[in-house]
This record gives sequence, C-alpha cells and structure tokens, in this order.
Amino acid sequence: MVKTRVWLGSALSAMLLLSACSNNNGGSAGEQTAPEETAANGSNESAPEGLKPAKLKIVLYGEESNRMKELSKAEFNDIIKKEINAEVEFQFLPWTEYGGGKTDLMLSTGEDFATYTDTNYMVKSVAKGLYADLTPYMDGAAAADTKNTVDEASFKAFQLGGKQYAVPVGNKPNSAEFYSVLARQDLLEEVGMSAITSLAELEQFYDKVHEKHPDLVGYAATDARRLLMYEYTDKNLYWLNDFLAVDEAAKDDQIISWFESEEFKAYAEIMRGWYSKGIIPKYAATNSPQLQSDWNSGKAMFWAGTAARPFEGAAAITQAVPTAKLTNYFLSKDLPNISRGTYSTAWFVSANAADPERYVMFFNLLQKNQELYDLFAYGLKDTDYTIDENGRLTRNTTDELIPDWLLMNKNFMRFDKSVPDDFIAQYKSWDDGAIISKAAGFNFDNTPVKNEETKMNGVFSEFLAPIASGFLDYESNFPKALEKLKTAGLDKYIAEYQKQFSEWYKANQP
Amino acid sequence: MPNQENRTLIAFFYLCIGVFALICLAPFVLAVSGSLSTESRLAAEGYSFLPRGFTLETYTFMFGSKAEQILRAYMTSVIVTVLGTVCAVLVTTAFAYVITAKGFRFRNSFAFLAYFTMLFSGGTLPWYILCTKYYHLDDTLAGLFVPYLMNVFLMYLQANYFKSIPHEVIESAQMDGAGHFRIFFRIMLPLGQVGLVTISLFYALQFWNDFYLPLMLVSDEKLYTIQYMMYYMMANIQYLASGTNAQISGVTIAPPLESAKMAMTCLTVLPIAVLYPFLQRYFVRGIIVGSVKG
Repeated sequence: MVKTRVWLGSALSAMLLLSACSNNNGGSAGEQTAPEETAANGSNESAPEGLKPAKLKIVLYGEESNRMKELSKAEFNDIIKKEINAEVEFQFLPWTEYGGGKTDLMLSTGEDFATYTDTNYMVKSVAKGLYADLTPYMDGAAAADTKNTVDEASFKAFQLGGKQYAVPVGNKPNSAEFYSVLARQDLLEEVGMSAITSLAELEQFYDKVHEKHPDLVGYAATDARRLLMYEYTDKNLYWLNDFLAVDEAAKDDQIISWFESEEFKAYAEIMRGWYSKGIIPKYAATNSPQLQSDWNSGKAMFWAGTAARPFEGAAAITQAVPTAKLTNYFLSKDLPNISRGTYSTAWFVSANAADPERYVMFFNLLQKNQELYDLFAYGLKDTDYTIDENGRLTRNTTDELIPDWLLMNKNFMRFDKSVPDDFIAQYKSWDDGAIISKAAGFNFDNTPVKNEETKMNGVFSEFLAPIASGFLDYESNFPKALEKLKTAGLDKYIAEYQKQFSEWYKANQP
Repeated sequence: MPNQENRTLIAFFYLCIGVFALICLAPFVLAVSGSLSTESRLAAEGYSFLPRGFTLETYTFMFGSKAEQILRAYMTSVIVTVLGTVCAVLVTTAFAYVITAKGFRFRNSFAFLAYFTMLFSGGTLPWYILCTKYYHLDDTLAGLFVPYLMNVFLMYLQANYFKSIPHEVIESAQMDGAGHFRIFFRIMLPLGQVGLVTISLFYALQFWNDFYLPLMLVSDEKLYTIQYMMYYMMANIQYLASGTNAQISGVTIAPPLESAKMAMTCLTVLPIAVLYPFLQRYFVRGIIVGSVKG
C-alpha cells in the first residue's frame, strides 16, 4: 500500500513537471506552425507568384536595438514578404556565441536558421557537415543581384571542393588591410609636416610630436609588420597566418616561413628600435588592450590603417579630440595592394534548413538595390535618416539596424557630412589596381597538424610575439625561440601547409 | 573567565578575521568606486578605493538607454528566483523524503540514480536537445528554472536532515493513520526546517546568479534575467574591444569598458548584498547542524 502510494506520488509529480513544461511552449509551437497558416493571414496579397510562404530565422550577434525590434516586425517584414514571400525572425545572440557556443549547438541539433561566418569557422563546420551546400542556387535568379554587386573573388573565398557553402555579404574595399599608416593628420600639420612617405618621415613625425606632447603614445599597436613591409623588403608579402607568408610578387606556390626569414630579422630590429625609443610605449608589453583604448581617446599618433578606418574610427576619437583628422599613408609604396577578395564575412545556411534557396533569396535582397539597402541599413527615409542634396546621410537615431558593417557595399553605402569628398573618391577607388592574393580562396585543413599548431601558438605568444613587437632583443632571444618553435613542430606544419597549398594552387591557377 | 593568554589569543583571532574580512571587502569597494569613476582616468591610473574623477556617467549611460529593460530583467530575475526556489525545494525535499522513507524498497536505487548524475553527465549537446526538442523549454519562463529543479548535492544534504529525525516520530504518526503526504508536509518539513532554509538559500543564490539557462534556452528579450543582461553586455563589450572581431567587422567602437563592468556588477550584487547579512546565519547553522547530526 505504502509502496503503491510512493510510486503513484513519484509518477504524478513527474507528470506534473512535464506538463508544466510543455504547456508553456507558445514560442516554439509558433515556429512549427504550418506554412499554409501564414499564407492564409491575408498579408501576402502581393507575394511573388509561384513561391510558397516560408519562415526564415536569421541569427545576428550583438544587441538588438529598439528601432530594429520595431522595424523587423513592421517594414522589414512587409518588404520581405512582398519580395520573397517569407517571414523572417531575427534572433540576437551575444558576440561570444559567434563561431562556437550556442551557434554550434543550434547547428548540431539541426535547427533551421542562417547567420554569418568567416572562412575559418566555415572550414571547421563544413567538415562536420553543418552547412547547407548553396551551389545549386548560385547561378539562378535567387542570387542574381548579389552576383552583380559583390565581387566574384569573394564568392571563391567561401567555396570548398568547388561547392559554395556561404554567400559573401557586402562589397567593401579591403585591399592592403593594415599595410598603411593611419596618422593623426591634425598632429602632423601641427608640427609643420604635410605627409608621410617613408619610415624616416614617420619617425620624424613622432619626434616632433613627442617634443610638443610628451604624453602622447606613438604607435597604438604591437604589430606593424604590414605597414613597415615597404621598408624592410622588396617582396610583396601577404601573411597566411602568424607563421607563414607568400610573396605576391613571385609567380610560384612557395610558402615563406616568416620567422625564419631575413625579413623578420630586419622587421624585429626596427620594432626593437621603436620600443627603445618609446614609439611603442613600455606598458604595451603587459597591457596591450590599453593601446586601443589610448588610440580611441586620441592619445596616440598613428595606427595601422585600412580603407575605411579614417571615417570608421574618427567618431570615437573626435569625441575626445574634436579637431582630430585621420589620413592613410603608405611608406615608400611602389607595390600593388593585395586583396583577399572584397569581404571576409558571408552568410551560411544550416544543413537542416527546409528551404535554403529562400535564405539565398533573402541574402540577395539585402544587396539588391539602393532602396532596399537604405531600408535595411538605415531604416525609413525622413524618420530614421535624411539625405541632403549632395546625397549625404544624416541619421536621426543611433540605433543600429542590420549592422551596417555587415551590409557595407561601396556601390550603395552613404557617408555623412563630415566625410570629405576626396576621401570618398579615394575610398571608392581604393581597390583599383589591387591584385587578388594568390592564396585567396585557399582554406587550410589543419586536422593533420592540429597538435603542432596548438603548441606553436603557445610558443608564438610566449616567445615570438615579444621579439616581433620589439619588447625583446632579436639577437639574444631569437635562437632559443626558434628552437622552441621547431620542437613544437614548425617543420611538419610547414610541410603540410606547403603540400595542401601546392595541390590547391595547381588546381586553381590559370 | 578568559585568562590573559586567552584574551591575547582571542585578540589575535579577531585581528586575523578582521584582516581577512578587509581582504574580502576590498574587491567590492573597488567595484563600487570603479563604477563611479571616469573611464579615462580609470584606464590611465587604474583602480583606487576612492572614485577617480567622481561621475555618475556610467549609471546614466546604463539607465539612459536601458531603464525599461533593466527593470524588466530585475522582475524576471525575482520571479525566477522565487518560483524556482519554491519548486526546487519542493522537488528536492520530496526526493529526499522518498530515499529516506524506510518502507520504500527502491529507495537505494533512486538514491543511486541521483548519485550517478553527480559523477557522469550526458554533456551539453544531449542536454540541449532534451530541453529544446523534447521538453520544449526554449523561450519559456519554465526554461529558466526547470532544468535546475534538483541539485543532487542539496538533495543529499536535505536527506541527511530527514535521517536525523527519529524514526519513532514517523512511526507514531503512521500508527495514528497519517499517510505519506501528511507525514511529509506536517512532520518532515517542519522538523527539517533548518535544512530547508539552507537549501532554499543555496537555490535562491543559484537562480539569481544564473545566466547559463537564459543563454542557452531564451531568445525572447522579455525573458532575459538581470544576470544574463550583465553577461550579454560584458560579452559584447569584451568581444568588440578585444579586437578579435577585426577579421569580421573591422569596426572600432569605444564603449565605457571597465566602469560599465563595475556598475553592472554593483547592480547585480546589490540585492544579494542587502539580503545576505540577514540570512547568513542560516547558511552556517544549516550546514553545521546537518554535518553533526547527519
């Protein structure tokens, strides 16, 4: 009798628990509503013919702004419904879940969604079969506009074994990323200089400003191998990762072991000089995040530049120093810019998605034309932003919609009044004459040398990074560091990399 | 009457405890002072026990754009903590009662099943599938506490209190015709009160501090808890400031970094800091009583 009651009690409480959980699943039940139901709600009168209603889930990272919440339920929803007969739900996750964490869990459990990726994350996920193959939709109408407005090389970067696993977003000039010196033009002019064209002039800039403002930091980073490249070598180096580079000027598939090269020695010596001289502050060795904070608060003279940094970074600095102006300079530049394709971010669709083509149509919509780009990036005209007679943008809200860095397409993007005309012209033509890296589109499969890579990364941060940043002297510290790197498996790693790269190079070069 | 030697010893112990208390208090003082300092001076000069360049800017920044969300998150946290604690205590004590009930033949098997989960777990992926695909806990309020309804360690703690209650009490109740429900609610729970308070406090702390369940199971912003909001904010700030995103975004932003962290810490710690002194004795007494009698 007693036993029966205890059993009964346990069973009852278990049932109670389960029913409590399943009664309340309004959200997920909604997700599984049959598509027909949404078709019947009358709002798709103008939906394109022949397309069944679909439900899409787009995961974005960062915080959802209030305006984004409003628009995604109203205008965004209407236009997406009208154009591709789909309902889109935007789900926001913390940035830490990008490329792992919950994103991985959602992929592994077969959820139907799409979000963005980079080449590293793509290689890992495709190996596990987590991304849908989007190749069949690339040449059809689904991706037609993206194909026109986004550079072909960017598509190639997201192909593996000839299959397209992600669709690049945006079209942003990004050649020669970090190969230029982003200098504080206002300081440069204050000390009577107009431009920087060599290392000597850069150091002169530092000396003069340092004399006037001893509290300012010189270089606000610890890695200057790209911007100094024009000084220490005639090669046109492009780094594949921290350890390896290729020479874009040579027409071969030779991989260069960066740390073992003469170029590294020359570079390390310049950096040692910078550190001793104080161009790189002493605290950089132990507190490198402080450098970026100093740059943002206008307490540094120069940084590594990209095409967009003069206006992207200006907002933060002008808060602290209203007169600050930023300009890109190349040191003794006579080599073509190297590009890895126009963009490094792309949308992927989860392997279990019911309708991958519709997702591709959605990605296409974001880059379809100026009108839609304006809507998704800036919101409603005259409510969220205004455009003056010169086509300059004034935003009435600071709320971010679909992040503009994600959409950024030089064919559509708008600038605000503070950006000078000549800068816009320079920005739009930034990639002219640039060469596509010979490694663009190559994705290294690190599985055979995973252990070596992990050990090498450890040696890199402990022994090599301090030499590369000038905190330690090359002559007395490098031999030991190299020995550690060799013990960690550098040679095996290079051999594997060279093997995969040569095979790929042979198959892909004309 | 303590003699001179004892007095010296006691004074020494007080000194040790005092120093230890100060060491424990220091981080909180730093957090409060950090939250009231200006970001630039904090970055340049580091933390101090008195605010550097006193300002309420960080709190204004946080409440300015997010007052409504913060209040809602507070509400959700309170609801989850109260509801979660009540349910968890009920489930835990019921289980503890079952495995201590003398007449129940399978009580050891049940105890073993619970114990087994202390040693081995199924892993995150199966857990996630179970919660989302089978129990449909995603985006529900239940999802914020149901997965934590039974902490096996606390269940054993409670079982120990129950074991310390003389069996004769239960037997006499049974003779008078009381059933298990009556014994459980009228005898075991009142007699195991100290343990009950202890595990309630542990559960309450756990539910208040948790950000994992919202991270995993919730995407609807209305269900964010205050801890998850803090986690979300910190995760974004750190990720964006670390520069690891340069590859994908290349965007430079400058959020109030250290001071924002400290302000959010103060906001989340506040309720616990206010309540803890009043409840602290139960923690200590509960654990000691359990250990001696158990």
